[in-house]
Amino acid sequence: MKVLAVLDNPKYIPDIHGFLEKAGFSESTLYAVSNFDIPDGFDKVIRVDDVSSDVLVRMGDELDGFDIYIAPHTKKSLEALSYYAGYRGIPIATEIIDYIVEEKKIVRNILSGRGIVSYRVATPIALTIAPGKFKGSISRTPEVIHNDVKPTPSLISIEEKSFGGVDIENAEVVVGVGRGFRDKDDLNIAFELAKILGGEVGCSRPIAADYHWLDEDRWIGISGKKVRGKLYIAIGVSGAPQHIMAANDTRVIVAVNKDKNAPIFEYADYGVVADLYKFIPIFIDKLKRRLDV
Amino acid sequence: MDIGVIVKAALDVNVLRSEADGRISIENIPLVLSEYDRNAIYEASKISESTGGKVYIYSLLTWGPMDRKMRDFENVIREALALGGEEAFVVADKSIHYSEPMFTSEVLSRLIKKFGSPKLILSGEASTDMTSSTVAPYLAAKLNYNIVTYVKEMSLKNGYIEVLRDADEKLERLKIPLPSVVSVTGEINSPKLPTLIQIRRAFRKPLHRLELSDIDLSPVFSRYEDYRVVTIKRKNILLEDESLENVADKLIDHLIQEGVLKI
Ligand SMILES: Cc1cc2nc3c(=O)[nH]c(=O)nc-3n(C[C@H](O)[C@H](O)[C@H](O)COP(=O)(O)OP(=O)(O)OC[C@H]3O[C@@H](n4cnc5c(N)ncnc54)[C@H](O)[C@@H]3O)c2cc1C
Repeated sequence: MKVLAVLDNPKYIPDIHGFLEKAGFSESTLYAVSNFDIPDGFDKVIRVDDVSSDVLVRMGDELDGFDIYIAPHTKKSLEALSYYAGYRGIPIATEIIDYIVEEKKIVRNILSGRGIVSYRVATPIALTIAPGKFKGSISRTPEVIHNDVKPTPSLISIEEKSFGGVDIENAEVVVGVGRGFRDKDDLNIAFELAKILGGEVGCSRPIAADYHWLDEDRWIGISGKKVRGKLYIAIGVSGAPQHIMAANDTRVIVAVNKDKNAPIFEYADYGVVADLYKFIPIFIDKLKRRLDV
Repeated sequence: MDIGVIVKAALDVNVLRSEADGRISIENIPLVLSEYDRNAIYEASKISESTGGKVYIYSLLTWGPMDRKMRDFENVIREALALGGEEAFVVADKSIHYSEPMFTSEVLSRLIKKFGSPKLILSGEASTDMTSSTVAPYLAAKLNYNIVTYVKEMSLKNGYIEVLRDADEKLERLKIPLPSVVSVTGEINSPKLPTLIQIRRAFRKPLHRLELSDIDLSPVFSRYEDYRVVTIKRKNILLEDESLENVADKLIDHLIQEGVLKI
């Protein structure tokens, strides 16, 4: 078996190694094409300026003949690998979350997280691996070669996103806010609640992506972060599967929504049908008194 | 300038149907226009309003069996036409029960090359049912077009487009020469609901229904994979009381009992 990893960020190497180990490919010939130095973990590293779709295609024969082309499921790697798979005419499966060893099947979510599918794939194949699902480490000292294929110059400027550095994926308690909040300042009551409970504030996609009230590292959902602590309190969140299925591994889910028919209640252990502006201050007050804080 | 939009009649994730053994019953789930395709159509019609030119809709029926899905499929295409498409080219072939990204891209690329060949193709960032996000770039390679995905802002210039694209940890402003395929995020615009007049007009717009043989492809006879529901085990207890004070107390009691809150 020959494996080629397409990498544009060192932080996903354990995910790629983890998948290969679980799928029984850790003894395979491992090559990487990357835009950063990799001192360990591959037989050969091909250093390029950028791992974009056009660079991969222009590298030509050098990337021929692999059985598995693999990349982390990040926006840029996914774009580059999908394009390359299309160029080569090989099948692709994206956002792999697991591998069933006995049946040799890859697993991915479907239907916005409400369904799951597992199936066998034939090689050659292109795969993208969901971050955080596999963890492994393969040790090899690579031969490093440089390829100076240039990407088509297209960059005008880069804008950094602001991140507060919160890690809601590993928080035990998360208070999630949705469009039920009318104003950015109103989120203060969610932060107060989170503080009392020793948790973090997360949010639905519109709160981060549309309104920019919170940074994207707080965005919960299939296109954001997964939460899997002991308690998730969703406030003013309607319960779209793209949001709430990313909280399905949480032990207890509480929902506060003024609409009795909101789908969120189907996904909650405890539901409070109330105006958040009335209920949350009372809840905070009671908690303070009973927790003596 | 003519613009193409690829759209999907996606399984409605809000209407899940499954068997007692947990198998998802695809045949019984209705199809709806994939959510972010609305943004792609809206963006295309905005651009075409300012530059002239036509908006083509391209699609194929990816979920079978055809006799169970055809009506939903047509409704989805009519909706796409109501939202701003002017002419649709779609493939519905009874041999297709499920079309995976590689085949979907192959069909779309042939449709686009044969009918209209617009130099700018838009799509949503992901479909609501499979969320592979792979068809746009795969298709771009098949067409030998440039690709840019997860676009949050775009404007058409002379022979190229300027975009702001989401690159996970940062945003990149890029200049992409045409021809190009562009996938847009759900935040690029706020599509308006079609008016009654637009809906009525959509029924008079040309909708060309084709089979695989019309684009020189053989029948595929794909099969479903084993789709299963993700189990949701929740208590679904609604706390109701005249007094929100009592509700708050009850909730705290439950959370203590669950061991997630320590007094
Ligand atoms: C491919 C794809 C990917 C997506 N990915 C994500 C994702 O990763 N994360 C995500 O969150 N979404 C995602 N979405 C969007 C998702 O479908 C929903 O649109 C979104 O989650 C809705 O956010 P919301 O619940 O905050 O807003 P809304 O749906 O508008 O819900 C607001 C809720 O607040 C309630 N409310 C209003 N006022 C009050 C009040 N005073 N007190 C109490 N309740 C009140 C309302 O009853 C309503 O239920 C995705 C969609 C697609 C198509």
